[in-house]
Amino acid sequence: MLKNIALKEDHPPGDFAVWIIIYVELVTFGLLFLGYAFSRRSDIELFNASQEVLSQTSGFVNTIILITSSYFVVKAVNSMKNMTQKNHKESNIKASKWLLLALVCGVTFLVIKITEFSHIFEYGINLSTNTFFMFYILSTGFHFMHVLLGSVILFNIYKKTKSYAYTPDDYSGFETGASYWHMVDLLWIVLFPLIYIIR
Amino acid sequence: MKKYLECVWISLIILTIFSYLLGYLNYINIYLVALLLLTTFIKGQLVIDYFMGLKEVRLKYRMFPSIWLLVTILLITFAYYLPI
Repeated sequence: MLKNIALKEDHPPGDFAVWIIIYVELVTFGLLFLGYAFSRRSDIELFNASQEVLSQTSGFVNTIILITSSYFVVKAVNSMKNMTQKNHKESNIKASKWLLLALVCGVTFLVIKITEFSHIFEYGINLSTNTFFMFYILSTGFHFMHVLLGSVILFNIYKKTKSYAYTPDDYSGFETGASYWHMVDLLWIVLFPLIYIIR
Repeated sequence: MKKYLECVWISLIILTIFSYLLGYLNYINIYLVALLLLTTFIKGQLVIDYFMGLKEVRLKYRMFPSIWLLVTILLITFAYYLPI
């Protein structure tokens, strides 16, 4: 027991500032999710009928993509953790390969989401169509912006790994970006069943 | 040594396929909602512990996202099961 406590890290990975952002984002999205769940109670039929318009398959594919991208990011972080002064170039190269895969996943997610949004908007659906679509557009649109920002962050980290900028003493920025990306994944994991699956 | 990561990833994929199939095959009913939300909680906790790496960090940092997840899932469950 004591041994376990001693082995725990004093701080979460990355800069602490990103964790403040993560905690605030979790609360914000949490309120959106609860707003959706409790608003549904006032018109269950409308929510169930509106859900039929959404493609569960694209939501599912996007979930698989985000989970897999998060896995690639963890692999990249592990490359950094195993870095020594001797192999720092190789570790940066290895991390950049994992990051590139994660980035491809992020961009694919965005493309699928844009396609989904364009279908929705083609039907003339907007924020004022009904309560379901207001929550759908707000929560998935807000999440989309986070994936976009996360992809930009991953791209910047990727560029730094290509120039071997991370060293065994300084890769906190890498972990900061990775933590943000995992938050985006965590939010989608709750959002997917709530909006697309549960009736 | 790091094979647990692959196990976490596969578990997440399997749980996601399970959720999708329930929805796709229209098997969702009021009883399965609880099961679906339970799998969502497990998936979220796996991400918090192993992807975010908070399992290796002091409890106070891990507690916030875990409590957030638990409270959110419990309140969603409450919203679905509370009589109208």
